Amino acid sequence: MSKASVFYDKFERHSHGEGLKGHATHYCPGCGHGLAHKYLAEAIDELGIQDRTVAVSPVGCSVFLYYYFDVGNTQAAHGRAPVVALGHKFANPESVVVSYQGDGDLASIGLAETVATAQLGAPITVIFINNAIYGMTGGQMAPTTLMGQTSSTSPSGRNEYNGQPLKMAELIAGLDGPVYVERVALYDAKQRIKAKKAIHKAMKLQMEGRGYSFIEVLAECPTHLKMNPEDTEKWVKECMEPVYPLGVKKDLTVDPWFKRNAPCFKGEKILSLAGATSEHPERHCKGFPTHLAPNDISLKLAGSGGDGAQTAAMLIARAAISEGFDATHIPSYGPESRGGTSYADVHVAEDEVLNPGSPDPQVLIAFNAPSLAKFGPTVRKGGFVIYDSSVVTDAPVLDPSIRMFPVPFTGIATDLGKAVVKNIVALGALQAATNIFPKDTLLGAIRTALKDKCALIPLNEEAFAWGIKSVEALDK
Amino acid sequence: MALKERPKPYLLPEYCKGCGRCLDACAKDCIHLSDQINPLTGLVPVELDLTNCNACGLCMDACPEPYGLRPAHEGEIQDFELEDPAKLFGVKPSDAPEPVDMPSEVLPLPRTEPLVIKGTYASALGALLAGCRHVYGYPITPSTEGAELMAKFLPKLDGTFIQAVSEVATVNMMYGTAGAGLPTMTFTSSPGFSLMLEGVSYMIGAELPGVFVDVMRGGPGLGNIAPEQSDIKLACHGLGHGNTQAITLAPSTPQEMLDLTMLAFELSFKYRNPVILLGDGYLGQMTGKVQLPETMIKPGIPKWAVYGDAMHRKNVITSIFLTESDLEAHNVHLNAKYEAMQVEARAESFLCDDAEVVLIACNTPARTAKGAVQELRHQGIKAGLFRPITLWPFPVEDLKAAIQGAQRIVVVEASAGQLEDEIRLALSKAGVHQFPEIESVRRMGGVLPQQSEIMTRVLGRKEVLA
Repeated sequence: MSKASVFYDKFERHSHGEGLKGHATHYCPGCGHGLAHKYLAEAIDELGIQDRTVAVSPVGCSVFLYYYFDVGNTQAAHGRAPVVALGHKFANPESVVVSYQGDGDLASIGLAETVATAQLGAPITVIFINNAIYGMTGGQMAPTTLMGQTSSTSPSGRNEYNGQPLKMAELIAGLDGPVYVERVALYDAKQRIKAKKAIHKAMKLQMEGRGYSFIEVLAECPTHLKMNPEDTEKWVKECMEPVYPLGVKKDLTVDPWFKRNAPCFKGEKILSLAGATSEHPERHCKGFPTHLAPNDISLKLAGSGGDGAQTAAMLIARAAISEGFDATHIPSYGPESRGGTSYADVHVAEDEVLNPGSPDPQVLIAFNAPSLAKFGPTVRKGGFVIYDSSVVTDAPVLDPSIRMFPVPFTGIATDLGKAVVKNIVALGALQAATNIFPKDTLLGAIRTALKDKCALIPLNEEAFAWGIKSVEALDK
Repeated sequence: MALKERPKPYLLPEYCKGCGRCLDACAKDCIHLSDQINPLTGLVPVELDLTNCNACGLCMDACPEPYGLRPAHEGEIQDFELEDPAKLFGVKPSDAPEPVDMPSEVLPLPRTEPLVIKGTYASALGALLAGCRHVYGYPITPSTEGAELMAKFLPKLDGTFIQAVSEVATVNMMYGTAGAGLPTMTFTSSPGFSLMLEGVSYMIGAELPGVFVDVMRGGPGLGNIAPEQSDIKLACHGLGHGNTQAITLAPSTPQEMLDLTMLAFELSFKYRNPVILLGDGYLGQMTGKVQLPETMIKPGIPKWAVYGDAMHRKNVITSIFLTESDLEAHNVHLNAKYEAMQVEARAESFLCDDAEVVLIACNTPARTAKGAVQELRHQGIKAGLFRPITLWPFPVEDLKAAIQGAQRIVVVEASAGQLEDEIRLALSKAGVHQFPEIESVRRMGGVLPQQSEIMTRVLGRKEVLA
């Protein structure tokens, strides 16, 4: 077979005998890598994909894959080649990406990446050189080392305390992601032809966007097996093959599916996703509510998850910003996803909120008794406490300068037929109790928030109105 | 039969390592091991006697060397080199074209009303507007909402969001996409950032851009999910193994989460280096006013990329420099970049001009400190706030100006002194050895310093000064 043009005309490499420079690989005599390289180069050549190919070099003896292949090359961290390959594939779906890895790289340190990438199933090609030993680091035990096989870290032979050799092709074929998995060998002419065809097919399946392929190549490492090349071929055939049976492990007929559009860079699209609009919200405030504070109002809303404290807090912040003020909202939750504590710190400032925390709020909205008991005493003198009198029977005694507003959030909301609007009742009560913003400012924020659920607007408006009425009734 | 049309083999003994794989591939017994060592290679090549050769070609398929057994017509070109070709040619000879930059475009964005969004969302929008369409991530509180927003938006923009198997996989997917020359980012939080650091070192070594938004949380170990400024030392001095540095930005408002994320992409491509954006759990969750910019970016493809097309075939992305002198030169090059990055130092000085008490803080504690400054000014104390926006490079020139008249320096931070260490190191490197004793207000474990604690610290020492 002729030298495939995919190889560089001359190789970049460190010294390995003067005469070999430029035209010989750095691999030891008899190593399986050279053959796998040749078959890969031939496949790239035959498929005409040299310009589209990105080869990901691993860590291991084939770390210098990029010395040889005249294609786009990326060298990856140990074990990470398949996910680096994914990063390339998704960056340019037209590229043909090969992750070429040894057994330590693929089956040990990179096992998570290997399995996850295979299961993801995006069309890349993984070529796995299994020679049952660590080569580059000097003959240590690999996950694929055979039972009884000696290595520098299994000097008495791999035993049960080192675990069993890992059969990667079977493992990968057991996943739903891959479309084609085959184990091949290089020890005789027949196997070499099969290996070549398998690599070609794996590249073709990717090229056609059909899916992920995995080719395990049983390869010879004469140096670390401490045998001559001929005996190593024999060892692969007689010792490795019984543990790692050759053949096709999975071969699905899949229609091409990996088709991705070019990413969209239309500003309008991003703005619409973000909900950004150029419409000026109507302003109702005549100025900053200085009757509450000169330039910065601190609020706290506290309840349990599901009370709607965070939504109400967000609506206050949005209302403030629609009026041209600054506002912040910081949520804090207990560790539970539902039903735990749920507190919100809100600040509204004329210019800039300097300190967004509300350790001593001017306004507290409490949705339950524990929240009221916890935060009531933190409310500043002259402040406002609005609480759900449906659930709080015994309000704590606070500083006499603090004005208390017992409003049955839950009772009103239940009467309206939807308990979830109790936070809107609370907002109505806030408006009436503090006059922080005009009614229409808060209603505007509520309506904007419900713009995709217009049917709910009347109910929320009613809840808001009831909150106002309840406070007005208290004043009478 | 096709096989019979194949040419007979040819071998230049200098390219043969004598492995002998071809010996049993030959059914006609044409190939034998020589008994002579080749003086140029020190190896024992095979010898061919093609008298009985039927040109089956199996020996050529068996030869592991690309330039080993070859068809006669190719092999007769005896063009082997005695010298290392890297030294002879400088670069690998290839007919691949010389890549050129495909520049990014700045596109106008219609003016819109401010959004009211949380910090992580602001950062995600910033990334989209900076042209990022490839986001990888692994869920971790309190950064996940950024990733969730990306998972929702990116498919609608024909972009890619992949939830990786781990943070290790995440950073390496970024390595791949960045290697292809495209903007990429992730959202993570402290434990996840720790896991990514191997990859960050590789990205720095291979000179790849990428943006890491680390919404810092309490540590060490699992710690908790509350805000802490726990990763300042990692970002400034611990980006994995080797000689690594990256510009580290510290926003303090949702607006800055957007603005600095956009800046992070720009700087990341400008210097071909990752950029770290350190938020804190509070800032990630905090909702505030965010004004979108008036322009957005459509990224190009830089000339160094391995995009997987003809234009970029020549390129290699690697952090390997096998020869010591090469690696030293690479580090010298990186150091020059780190030096060039010093101009990116940014800071905000708030009322520092006449300040006698200078508070120093970043992220959310800087806002609390700003509140304290205002309160202190009300009480007639000349207080100011110095807020580093880049933690690396540290804005030491701005700091020097800010503390010029200071009688007291109070560092406010949600960590055990990680910010103070940066301040001390920066002052020391700048040759500033005379400065007021550094006092501190520190909270850890997810507790942020409160304004009242800052007041107590500052006012508690008032008498001493007077």
